[in-house]
Amino acid sequence: MPALFPRAGRWGLAAQFPAPLKSQAVAGGPVWYWDGVVTRCSSGVGRNVEFREHAPGVRRIIAIVLAVFLIGGVAAAVVAGREEQDSSTATKTVRAVIGSEKAEFFADPDVVEALAARGYTVETETSGSWAMEGLDLKGYDFAFPSSQAPAGELAAKYGVRQPLPRPFYSPLVVVAHRSAAEVLAGNGLASLGGKGNGTLKMGAYLKAAGDDRTWQQLKGAQKHGELSGTLFISTTDPTSSNSGALYLAAASYVADGGRVADGAAAVGRTAPLMRKLISVQGSQQTSTDAAFRDFVSGVGNPLVLVYESQVASLLGRGQDAGDLVVLYPDTTANSDHTVVPLTDEGRALGELLGTDEELRKLAVRHGFRPQGVATEFAAATAAHTAYLDQKLTGVRQAPVPASGVLHDMARRART
Amino acid sequence: MRHPRLAATAAALAVVAVMTAGCTPSAEGPGPAEGPVPGTLRVLASSELSDMKDVLERVREDTGITVRPTYMGTLDAVDLLAKGGAKDAYDALWLSSNDYLRLEPAAARQVVSETPVMSSPLAIGVRTATVRRLGWRPADVTWTDVEEAVRDDGLTYGMTDPSRSHSGFSTLVSVASALSGAQSALTDADVRRAAPELRRFFGGQQLTSGSSGWLAAAYDRRGDVDALLNYESVLASRKDLTVIRPRDGVLTADYPLSSLASSGREAREDVRRLAGALRAPAVQKLITDRTLRRPVVPSVPPAAGLDTARRRELPFPGSRSVADGLLDSYENELRRPSRTVYVLDTSGSMREDGRLDRLKKALTGLTGDFREREEVTLMPFGSAVKSVRTHVVRPEDPRTGLDAIRRDTRALTAEGDTAIYTSLRKAYAHLGADRDTFTSIVLMTDGENTRGAGPAEFDRFHARLSGAERRIPVFPILFGDSDRDELAHLAELTGGRLFDAQKGSLDGAFREIRGYQ
Repeated sequence: MPALFPRAGRWGLAAQFPAPLKSQAVAGGPVWYWDGVVTRCSSGVGRNVEFREHAPGVRRIIAIVLAVFLIGGVAAAVVAGREEQDSSTATKTVRAVIGSEKAEFFADPDVVEALAARGYTVETETSGSWAMEGLDLKGYDFAFPSSQAPAGELAAKYGVRQPLPRPFYSPLVVVAHRSAAEVLAGNGLASLGGKGNGTLKMGAYLKAAGDDRTWQQLKGAQKHGELSGTLFISTTDPTSSNSGALYLAAASYVADGGRVADGAAAVGRTAPLMRKLISVQGSQQTSTDAAFRDFVSGVGNPLVLVYESQVASLLGRGQDAGDLVVLYPDTTANSDHTVVPLTDEGRALGELLGTDEELRKLAVRHGFRPQGVATEFAAATAAHTAYLDQKLTGVRQAPVPASGVLHDMARRART
Repeated sequence: MRHPRLAATAAALAVVAVMTAGCTPSAEGPGPAEGPVPGTLRVLASSELSDMKDVLERVREDTGITVRPTYMGTLDAVDLLAKGGAKDAYDALWLSSNDYLRLEPAAARQVVSETPVMSSPLAIGVRTATVRRLGWRPADVTWTDVEEAVRDDGLTYGMTDPSRSHSGFSTLVSVASALSGAQSALTDADVRRAAPELRRFFGGQQLTSGSSGWLAAAYDRRGDVDALLNYESVLASRKDLTVIRPRDGVLTADYPLSSLASSGREAREDVRRLAGALRAPAVQKLITDRTLRRPVVPSVPPAAGLDTARRRELPFPGSRSVADGLLDSYENELRRPSRTVYVLDTSGSMREDGRLDRLKKALTGLTGDFREREEVTLMPFGSAVKSVRTHVVRPEDPRTGLDAIRRDTRALTAEGDTAIYTSLRKAYAHLGADRDTFTSIVLMTDGENTRGAGPAEFDRFHARLSGAERRIPVFPILFGDSDRDELAHLAELTGGRLFDAQKGSLDGAFREIRGYQ
């Protein structure tokens, strides 16, 4: 098999977009894909997305534009500053490519300090989780995508031994304004629990979406001027962002009678519905962060898919949640933040994130649920049970299709 | 196997389409030349954010961060970003909305994170007397009601050019979504289906403008236009208008402060702090009180007078093809066509410094931007008008008209004196009174008037024009050695606007005027 990654030389010479298309006559035809090139914070130079050719034997197709973010590196900056003040503490520098939703965690001065106390300086660079498998990860100590599927692909590619550290996770939830949540509940699409949470019935919702149901057709919507037009959940772009892709994973699982899509035939069965779920939305945000901020600002669609960690983090900071209602889909997908160690230091740090009590506490502060220790999340969010369903009662976790299948699903939904 | 190549090629084509789309750089918005300064953020900002001075001063006191804005229309800014022009020149981007930017992958890639700072929905501001005449209850009015008022009651309005201004584009998307009955994101089919209603709706548009500021001034000057379409914040500041957010939904500008991938991490950290400071409750209150935009933190109520009833947020088109298709329909089919006379100084002095060649180049470049149904008259003059050549860009055969304009442009020669006012009078006579088109005159001159009627005589001529003729604005272009005061007076007298090609380029000035035609 030809080398998966071109020489490091191309990093300094990313082709200008659009790059000329190159082709090679081979059996089965050439395969094209978008290669998200990671951006290096330390140099501060943004690099372009580059077009390049993939070997015919490789079946992974990434015909998508991958979002590459640059938020990371703040952690490194803070650390650098601290090192100057306290040069006596020698720390090991660990380099990582992380999903952007964890950038704030690694940039948190308390996290930086806790890591430094344990002998680590973590330099982070951010990239969409799905972009990581198109990156040359040579020289990195670990990758930290936001779900298992891309982590599994990366582990296979780099021959990383299992199990992979999965320090924390967060379920996908739908945030709604009170009025919208009540109308959904009044029409059998949701049930409301406490003041600020409830359950979204995915089967009923998908049926409504398949039937092009509008808010006007729902009982009780007339009272609320903003509830009109097609009923839909706003998500991020599934071809570039993890949460949008996981939404399709959960929706397709429900729509196909509880089966996980395992190939082109399965993707084909739910493709018309998936396409509908995405196309009705029009322009989509590229990051869950921006989508949630718009919602909290009162701008945009009344139903928005976000990570529970975003809501928990907002509540934990004591910010006003307005008339927010958190709807837990009865079938949802979890964002399993999974470490793919590429060196021994990377593995040690990945394990530390899950085993160290202080680091776990800091992860909880950012809204994440530590794997396997439910009590810590429950204790930290005790004041917010009106919004958060600590035990995830009645929430089923949909298995996520293999990476290639999910890519295919996302691409077909977008075209 | 699927065909990823198709997807990739489509993406590549989308970028090519962008390069040819009608977004032009502003003639008056050059990028800052200086490099980064610690504690100072160079921000590429939407023009309407010039009302944030007090707020930014307050934030500077709070954080020590100085914001140095460069104002530009949203669509032009997206274009600049897509071409890589913001790299190293700006530390942050602050547009009225990133919706349009997201349709352009090359520009969207430059944005790292975005934080909405305030919001303002699109709205229609109607003279209070007109609201009464129509028997409207502001809370109940829909876009269909507006369309019916245009059709049955002759309602007239002004709006900004959707190809140049985000408020104009938001208007276009809102109206098209509502009148087509689209329940979700707009598609090409929706636009086609609603074409008859949309044409009627845009038949009521009496004023077009490249900027909100000039639109308001033109509205005041005209006095006979019933309404303005713009952001709520712009309309609510006027005492004479009743602000209506149509019940069937609008688009909302959320003013996201965005950090850029190309800037250094210190700058990105400052952008993050700036966004935090702007969202502090005290600053949010200042924002809503000063600018009449809405706060984006739930604990701060909107300024008094802003209606708090929620409105449906219409989805923004999800693809470049729908957005461009909509713009294309508007320009070429839906809006009233324009009739323009280009009064072009080809006196002997135009031989200096390659001026005539620059004029020819600018005019030829413009032929790529003329709309279908547009009537273009070239009126070159020296000691007198040399020729009057009128060409129409016919939808069934646009090339013939455009070729003819290019041919006549090539044939221009420089000789004679400069008879500005006598030639202008001819342009007015040529256009006459016409309510079915946007009529205007572009005057390009490189010197002072040396022949024929003088300025005072022209003033008297203008005073004798009929009401309809007096509505024809002259857009003078300062070029070469032309007299700024004289041309500024002309713009003032006729309700036009002066464009400066002495500082900026002649191409840029001609292109910027397109927003007003």
